[in-house]
Amino acid sequence: MNKLERFACTLSKCNKRYISGPKRKYPIDREHEKTLPVFQYNVSKENYRRVFSWGNIHTGALGKGFKKYKEGEKYLKPLYFPKRITLGEQHEVVSATCGFGFTVFSVRNDTSQKLYGTGINTDSQIGYHEVRTGHPLETIFVPQPIHLPFKNPESARVTKLAAGRAHLLVLTDEGLFTLGNNSFGQCGRRVVPDENYGMSNYIHHIENIDGKKIVDVECGQDHSLAVTEDGGVYSCGWGADGQTGLEHYKNCSEFTKVNGDISSEKIVKVSSKSDFVMALNDKGEVFGWGNTEYGQITLPGGDQQISTPHHIKMLDKLGKIKCVATAGAFCLVVNENGQVYSWGYGLLGTGPNVELSKTPVHIPQTLFGRNDFQPDSTVIDVTCGLYHAAAITNLGDLYTWGRNKFGCLGLGDIEDQYFPLKVAIGGIVQKVACGIDHTVAVCKPFI
Amino acid sequence: MPHDSLLLWKALQGIICVYKPAEISVKSLRKKLITKLCKDLSELDVKLRHPNPKLTALPVSSDPHTNSIVETESSENALEDISSSAISSGISHIDLRYHPLVVGPRYLDEDLTVSWSNFLGWNTSGVLLFGLRSGTQYAKFIRENRSTRAYRVTGSFGKATDNGFKTGKVVEKSTWKYINQNHIQQILSAMQASHQKKVFEISGVDIHSQTAYELAAKGPIRPVNSEVPIIYNLKCLDYEGPGFTIEVQCINENENYLTTLIHDIGIRLHSTAHTTAIKCIRHSCFTLEHALLPKHWNLQNITKNMDMCSKLLRDNESVINQTSAVLN
Repeated sequence: MNKLERFACTLSKCNKRYISGPKRKYPIDREHEKTLPVFQYNVSKENYRRVFSWGNIHTGALGKGFKKYKEGEKYLKPLYFPKRITLGEQHEVVSATCGFGFTVFSVRNDTSQKLYGTGINTDSQIGYHEVRTGHPLETIFVPQPIHLPFKNPESARVTKLAAGRAHLLVLTDEGLFTLGNNSFGQCGRRVVPDENYGMSNYIHHIENIDGKKIVDVECGQDHSLAVTEDGGVYSCGWGADGQTGLEHYKNCSEFTKVNGDISSEKIVKVSSKSDFVMALNDKGEVFGWGNTEYGQITLPGGDQQISTPHHIKMLDKLGKIKCVATAGAFCLVVNENGQVYSWGYGLLGTGPNVELSKTPVHIPQTLFGRNDFQPDSTVIDVTCGLYHAAAITNLGDLYTWGRNKFGCLGLGDIEDQYFPLKVAIGGIVQKVACGIDHTVAVCKPFI
Repeated sequence: MPHDSLLLWKALQGIICVYKPAEISVKSLRKKLITKLCKDLSELDVKLRHPNPKLTALPVSSDPHTNSIVETESSENALEDISSSAISSGISHIDLRYHPLVVGPRYLDEDLTVSWSNFLGWNTSGVLLFGLRSGTQYAKFIRENRSTRAYRVTGSFGKATDNGFKTGKVVEKSTWKYINQNHIQQILSAMQASHQKKVFEISGVDIHSQTAYELAAKGPIRPVNSEVPIIYNLKCLDYEGPGFTIEVQCINENENYLTTLIHDIGIRLHSTAHTTAIKCIRHSCFTLEHALLPKHWNLQNITKNMDMCSKLLRDNESVINQTSAVLN
């Protein structure tokens, strides 16, 4: 048999597929498949939430543990990207809030520890944690339980958290607890001169205001706001810019009813981060008071402070407002169609050319992921830090923009972002909390 | 004198849209097309010149040098037969200069240049564009313009294979019963949004500029190079049992990327998955309707297809010549 004949013989034996297809060195043993075990991977529990944090790592507010400086390193690199924190794996985190350099998480469990805090603790705003008698920790790097004086510690539930510069408001079904700095009366109790807040283990309890149940709380920089079940707003704390809305510019150390345009309205949401307050009523109308020097409300007399709640009439033409948020110098609203409007001073989210606007500017919905391929993506919630903002869409995507202090936008760098950009985060975002230089997100797992 | 095959040959310049079956390479499909076209053209020539098998004869001449062709090439068997039949029928002079057995096929495979404008892998089926002769430059333009393509990828949960495809060796088996369509859709929408953000980083535009904002406000944009695959749309069309179908609209992808995508979806859903079929359903403005099945390949259908494709290209100028980074 010559060479040619032999080659022809080989060709006829193997099929056409084998000649020109992807080749294998050894043929596949299909029987081997039957001997393989079937892996059973876990599915997440219904209440399991992934907690991500990013931004400034110095303060310990990220709950990532203490990081030592490496040799030759001049400064600690902030966390540019969202990273999961262990607390979410150990406890069922319900919600979180960010103050100025500290973070507080509320968890669901059967023990008495319903609250965990981490970060700066100079004023005992996240509880009194001492390693030896008389020496409380001023910075906490790993979330520590905060003990609240509950009547029924096991069955109590934390419903809402709010944090300011150095104070914390915890709304539970047993009433409101306030912790931390009270130098302006923001904890709703009498101001004690020369009180050492860092050494104090005092937690103030307010069961109800004027016999009405509190349903929502919010903190500004050094003032506090509470919404009662009948829609009334009560405030206390620093009032130098009129942010308490009590028709005077003095501090107030007791929750007092806010009147003005909102006296007969049913308020459902209040928002404040620094010294301007916005309130939303059940009809979708927006009211504002406080410091308006950046054009949050344009007053006829040119005043820069307003201590009486004013109806913001320019928002009426935007339709029914669903969500409001205020940052240090700009405001955001979302209407019922999911359109986001911003005004004020700062990075408003409409490119580098727009830095100051006294009228609402529309942030195009394409920037929040709406396009021909994803026509049903709408913004459902907005949150503001002092200089940055975050928006959550109905698909569970998180978009951020603004000043990128210590990488608090989570976009992978420390450059400012002039329009909303999606954050790469491994979960369906449920809730986001913005501090001044860090951000925390509570996400549902995909499965 | 130009004859019909030459006219047809001249007309065979442009883009054609064909259907590539799975389990054949684009290279061999191209060869198949060339062979088919050249054979058809050559046959057409023979048919036109010799409408019936009877050979035409030249008038008898007294000059013995005129029938030199017969004498010089009489060593060929076929020619011997012809000449013998011609001699027996009383004709001594036959013009065999253009006979296919003398000159061979008129159109050779090397003469027809064909290039593809999108490469589909061995396991992929669907729309494939070929440029014929001077149409190869249009094929090049289309390729370099990086238009979007849509795929329908079918996968199956429960098994992971070593090459990500159903033909590979099974390396892991897992449970999948807890997965529902909503889970798949949530994963896909998160992936899609991340890709649209990623495209900004590789768009070549400074993200902190006004231009970047204006581009972003218009909608999705194209990547600047052809290296990074970008997904614009991911949709779960169907989920039944372990099998599922997703539709992918993307740029710069290849077969390997799509199988990896399915594998990745499997892992993210706490299971394993492998691809069972990949079908390209759209390439820029060309869809499956325009694609010509290999069994219908003949001169008539291909010229018809070419006309349709050139009309489509005229209607969609942006496929050949882009003016903006915005995806359209």
